Amino acid sequence: MRWIRPISAQVEESAEILGAKAHGLVALHRLELPVPAAFVITTEACRAFLREGSLPAGLGAELVTAMRGLEAATGRRFGATRTPLVVSVRSGASVSMPGMMNTILNLGLTSEATAGLAAETGDARFALDSRLRMLSGFASALTDISDGGVSAALDRAAARSSDDEEGRLADEIQAAQQLIRQRCGQPLPDDAPRQLELAVGAVFSSWDAPRARTYRELHDIPHDLGTAVIVQAMVFGNRDDRSGTGVAFSRDPNTGENVPFGDVLFGHQGEAVVSGRSPTRPLDELHAREPAVWAALTDALTRVEKHYRDACYVEFTFQAGRLWLLQTRPGRYTGAAAVRVATDLADECVITRHEALRRVSPRHLQHARTPRIATSARADVLARGAGACPGVAVGRVATTTDAAVRMAADGPVILVRPETSPHDMRGLAAVAGIVTARGGPASHAAVVARAMGKPAVVGITGLSIDAAGASVTAGGRTLGEGTVVTVDGTTGTLALGSPPITTDAADMHLHRLLAWADEASGNRTERDEVQRLNAARAALGHAPPE
Amino acid sequence: MTTPGSFSTDDDLLVLHALRCCGHTGAARLAAVTGMDESAVESELIDLAVAGLVTYEPGEFGAWGLTDAGRVADAQRITQQLEAAGARAAVTAAYERFMVLNPELLDLCTAWQLRPVDGVMTANDHSDSSYDARVLGRFTDLDRRAAAVCAELAAAVPRFGLYRDRLSHALTRAASGQLEYVADHIASYHTVWAELHEDLLATLGIPR
Repeated sequence: MRWIRPISAQVEESAEILGAKAHGLVALHRLELPVPAAFVITTEACRAFLREGSLPAGLGAELVTAMRGLEAATGRRFGATRTPLVVSVRSGASVSMPGMMNTILNLGLTSEATAGLAAETGDARFALDSRLRMLSGFASALTDISDGGVSAALDRAAARSSDDEEGRLADEIQAAQQLIRQRCGQPLPDDAPRQLELAVGAVFSSWDAPRARTYRELHDIPHDLGTAVIVQAMVFGNRDDRSGTGVAFSRDPNTGENVPFGDVLFGHQGEAVVSGRSPTRPLDELHAREPAVWAALTDALTRVEKHYRDACYVEFTFQAGRLWLLQTRPGRYTGAAAVRVATDLADECVITRHEALRRVSPRHLQHARTPRIATSARADVLARGAGACPGVAVGRVATTTDAAVRMAADGPVILVRPETSPHDMRGLAAVAGIVTARGGPASHAAVVARAMGKPAVVGITGLSIDAAGASVTAGGRTLGEGTVVTVDGTTGTLALGSPPITTDAADMHLHRLLAWADEASGNRTERDEVQRLNAARAALGHAPPE
Repeated sequence: MTTPGSFSTDDDLLVLHALRCCGHTGAARLAAVTGMDESAVESELIDLAVAGLVTYEPGEFGAWGLTDAGRVADAQRITQQLEAAGARAAVTAAYERFMVLNPELLDLCTAWQLRPVDGVMTANDHSDSSYDARVLGRFTDLDRRAAAVCAELAAAVPRFGLYRDRLSHALTRAASGQLEYVADHIASYHTVWAELHEDLLATLGIPR
């Protein structure tokens, strides 16, 4: 085939053609790890699409053939009433552009196939929920409405609906279809192969969305690379209560400690983790709830680490107690975590000491010097989110801007809000640290926190703020206004009380690494850490940074 | 009608609504936001305070702010203004277009503040003028698209035209080397943008 490659251990082509995601899936196949059946449409097809404005000649026929391959691999039929095959359609460029392009899950759930899935599983709610996810994916991809706008429209439909859950889902499905009909001038065809072509075109088009173009300009990524598209048999994290989805690092990305780390979300599909709309649980809860999945996952992490010879990251879904891997890449740790992983890997004889020195950039040492909660402190961690502005702040919880301004007269305050808006500017100015339940590293709170140089953690799922009751609930614990907490904006940690804070990177891992550095450079004079590392890297053929 | 403030001129609504969108602030900033003289703003504030709609909180972070009654009155009058102009559909459509631009604006603010160096997100110290120029270039591109949205809004409800002026002003300052006008100043592009976002939510009665 010209435009399509099945994803298997035999594929030899580069990430430039296959995209990084498909390239990672090929690696997982070679490691004999469980990957749902999939094929990839190459970046070349995307470039042709962008040139011509339509799917390149021959791709339609190849899609039909490739779907037959997925049908054979899964024993299911695309768009059929009995045992329907359902697929995801995802972007996957050769460079990372997180969240910039479209994804459509559960494709193939026509009204008939949805009825078929409901009959097969005996679970109409599950089938309708899956169809709704497909339609809302299409609504975002085919119209100029943002993801948030689509979910708001669906929420409004749900709010108008009766209490019965299936009835509510049916109403939301209607609303999503209505939205597509209104904005595209025609309904979404109730035909699986046609939906597939539309989805592939939508993902290709999203390469040139203004936001994606801006992202590439800012990150020096050429505009003519294009994205590959992966079409993969769905596994359903929302199938039952023995299903779920999550992300996992082979080692703690905050500290580098050699323990699996991540988030898991029971009974949901992948986009719920990424969007932050549902509260996730710490990864190790899998151990008790799904021991077989946990065992398979930790085994997979070990094998992927060995392959990359580095800490790694995977995205996974489990359906009815069975694990599937959907994506992998090297971990790309920074700061103190990068130092620890490099020295540990050298101690484990996975890499040489020289390789460890090459992997730690002087930037990582500088990053490691930012104040943070000491890892030895056994801090009482309430919750984790995304670190938005590095540094540590200790203060008393305030739940409103008014309270924050009032309390700031008596000492440092941490403002804890669902999210922030211009109304909170006065509060943001008055406080020592900022915590929000919603939003990512580019949210209003994050931008303002960095402008003011205040440690901030954003996007803590499961954090709720009761301004009327002057309390916050995080990690299942409720704290009254005035409770002392600590915000670590490097690691994204919210901790109870005031655990010890460290500002120097002089832990034993760094000492070992620097001793190896002196060995490599042959220079044992008194110098600072960055000079010692740079001297070693220069001796090993790495130019020091300008 | 006996609604407090409903008998008064549009200027008092402009000041009242500026407080709704900016949060607590002082008369000088309200003047910049509304395009009115500071003395005119002060006189409106005094009248609004007498009507119980705004109040002054003294102290280190002292500022004017809405009372609960002021919030209610603002919501009523801003809705009346919208419906009287028959502008709900136009403002809703413009809001949707604004929300498509919003994540890109936040990406740009982030890129202005942080840049990856050896995989580490590092504070942008603005020593690399070519990088800054690249980010500002993208701001200018986004601003062109935002201008179209602002024009639609101003055609529907003239008050929105003020945002266009303030956004242009911020970008012009930033481009002339006053870098704090991107995201670090009370009149920065990011601040004005966030106020416009808040105004759209308030005008359409959309909860956050």
